[in-house]
Amino acid sequence: MNPLLRRLRSDLFATPADGALSLGLIALITAVAVGLLQWATQRAQWAVIQANSTLFAVGRYPGDQQWRLWLLTALLTAVTGVTWGLLRCHPRADRDGTLWPRNDRLVLGLLVVVVLWLPGALQLTPALQIRWSLLAALLAASRWLAGRFGSKLSRPMLRLFPLVWPLIYLIGMVLISGGLGLMPVSPSQWGGLLLTLLTASFAILLCFPMGVLLALGRRSDLPLLRWISVIYIEFIRGAPLITLLFLGQNILGFLLPGGFAPDRIWRAAWVLTFFAAAYLAEAVRSGLASVPKGQMEAARSLGLSYPQTLVRVVLPQALRVALPAMVGQFISLLQDTTLLSLIGLLELLGVARTVMANPAFLGHSAEVYLTLALLFWSCCAALGLGSRALEKRLDPQTLSRSSSQP
Amino acid sequence: MTSSPTHLMIEARGVQKWYPNGYHALRGVDLSVHRGEVVVVMGPSGSGKSTFIRTFNALEDFQEGSIRIDGINLGNDLRQIDAIRREVGMVFQQFNLFPHLTVLDNLVLAPTLVRGRSRTEVQAQALSLLDRVGIKEQAQKFPGQLSGGQQQRVAIARALCMEPRILLFDEPTSALDPEMVREVLDVMRQLAQEDITMVVVTHEVKFAEQVAHRVVLMAEGNVVEEAPPAQFFKNPKHERTRRFLDQIL
Repeated sequence: MNPLLRRLRSDLFATPADGALSLGLIALITAVAVGLLQWATQRAQWAVIQANSTLFAVGRYPGDQQWRLWLLTALLTAVTGVTWGLLRCHPRADRDGTLWPRNDRLVLGLLVVVVLWLPGALQLTPALQIRWSLLAALLAASRWLAGRFGSKLSRPMLRLFPLVWPLIYLIGMVLISGGLGLMPVSPSQWGGLLLTLLTASFAILLCFPMGVLLALGRRSDLPLLRWISVIYIEFIRGAPLITLLFLGQNILGFLLPGGFAPDRIWRAAWVLTFFAAAYLAEAVRSGLASVPKGQMEAARSLGLSYPQTLVRVVLPQALRVALPAMVGQFISLLQDTTLLSLIGLLELLGVARTVMANPAFLGHSAEVYLTLALLFWSCCAALGLGSRALEKRLDPQTLSRSSSQP
Repeated sequence: MTSSPTHLMIEARGVQKWYPNGYHALRGVDLSVHRGEVVVVMGPSGSGKSTFIRTFNALEDFQEGSIRIDGINLGNDLRQIDAIRREVGMVFQQFNLFPHLTVLDNLVLAPTLVRGRSRTEVQAQALSLLDRVGIKEQAQKFPGQLSGGQQQRVAIARALCMEPRILLFDEPTSALDPEMVREVLDVMRQLAQEDITMVVVTHEVKFAEQVAHRVVLMAEGNVVEEAPPAQFFKNPKHERTRRFLDQIL
C-alpha cells in the first residue's frame, strides 16, 4: 500500500470509532471553511478596507510626511534580514548549521507570495504594490548578504550588532515624531497599526528591565526594597488595566517629570509599561527560583562579585526559563493596547470604530473586525515564533537529547 | 607571604556555627592545614564536615572562633572575602557547572572577569587544563552533553583555571555513577602530587589511604581524631573513629 495511504489510515481510521470521529471533524472543517470562503469572496464588501487602508495603517499621519514611515519600514526590514542571516551563518558553538534550512526557505517563499498577492487582491494603487514588492526584495537581499558575508565579521563587531536594534528604535522615534530638521508630527495625528505597534513596543522594551529589577527587588535581602517591590507588584496586579489607564491620564502628569508624559498617548504608553512590568516581574521571579542555589555558590566561589554573578550566571538561566511566560505577557500587552480606544486614542480598534461609524460603510463591521483579528494574529504569531526560535537556540538541553553521548 | 615548610594555609580556631533554626552545627572546631598538604575529612552525614569546609571560602558564615586563610583573617569585610575566594577553589558534589556556557567558557569566565586577563591567553591555559583532565575534545560542548564524570573533571579544571592556592572538594564523587568515580579520583591523585593545598571531604577510603597526608574524623560538629592515614585506618585512638570505620569498611 502507498505509504501516504497507510499513514492516513493509521492516523485517522485506526478503529471504527476513530473513523467516525475523523469523518465528523472533516465534515465540520469543510463546512466552516466553505462557508467562510463563500462569505469572503461573494458577500463581503472589502471596499471598506481598500478605501481606508492608509487610515488603518497610520491613522491621520500627514500624507506628505509618510515617506518617513516607509523609510523606517525599510530600515526595520533590512535590519531584520541582516539579523536573520547572521544568526544562520553563526550557529551555536556546539552545532553545525546550514545557511538555508528548509523552514527559512519556506518562510521567505510565503512572505514573497503574500507581499505579491495581497496588495493586488486588495486593489491597492500600483505605487503601494511596488513599494511592498521592494520591501520583500530588500528582506531577501539583506538576508542573503548577511548569510553570505556574515562570517567575515570580527567577534567584537558581532557582539556590538544587537545594539543596532535600540539605535533603530531611537531613529524610528525621530522619524515618526519629527525634530532634527524634520517637520514635527504631533502624537494626536498618529494612529492605526502605527500607534498600536509604537505603544506596544515602547511598553515591551521598557517593562522588561523594570520587571527584572522588580523581581530582583522582591528577592532582595534589604527589607525596604523587598516591601516596595511586593507592594508595587501586588497593587498593580490587583487593579484592572482600564482603571489604571483612566487614572494615569489624570495623575501621570504630576508623577513623571515634565518631558516624559507630555500628552495622552505617552501617558497611556507609560501606564501600559508600569502595568506589564508587574506581571513580567512575576514571570522573572519564577525563572530566578528555577536556578539552583549551587549556581550562585559556584560563581561566588570562583571570585565573581554579586553583580557579575547575577549578570553572567543567574539571569541568563532565569530569563531563558521565564521566556515563554514573558512572551505570553508581551502578547497580551499587544492585545491590551486595544483598551486605548476606550480613552479616545485612535489605535487599530479606535480607527476601526471611527470607520464603522461612517455611514458609507454601515453594516460592514464583520470585514473590519476580521481584518483586525488577522493583523493582531500575525503580530502575535510573529512574537510567538521568534520566542520559540530563541528558546531553542538558548536551550542547552535540546542537544544532549539528540546528539550521541561520548 | 612566606613559604616555609610549616607555613599555615588554613588555620581554624574554635569555630562555632548555629543555623538560623538554632541547630548547633559546628561546636568549636580546630584545624590547621599546611602548604601543599592533602587533608581528607571523613565522618558520618550530619557531622558538619561539609559545613566546615564551606566556611573556608565564606559560603557559610560562623558565629564564634576565627579562620585565617593564608594569613588573611576571614571576617565580615567583603573585600577580604572576595580576595580569599580568588585564592580558594571549590569543587562541589553536584558539579555546579554553568549549563548555559560551553565547557571552554565555563573555564574562561572567572579568570577574564575577576583577574582581568585577556581572553586569548586564558583560552590557551583552559585548553591545556582540559587536556590535563582528559577532555580537551569536548571544549565546545555544553555541560549537559557530558557524562557526570566528565562534568566533574571540567569543574576541577574550572577551579584550577583561577590558579588557586587552596582547593576544596565537597564530596566530589558522591553524585557519580560508580564507574565514573575512578576517572575523577585519578585527576585528584595527579593534583595531590603538586604544590597545591587540598582539603577533601569524601567517603573514598582508598583515596584517603593512598593520597592523604592526614585524615580527620568529624562527628557531631567537632574534630574527633586527626592522624596520618596508616594510623587512622589501622590503629585509631578513639572509640568514635573505630565505630565509624566499622560502619564503612
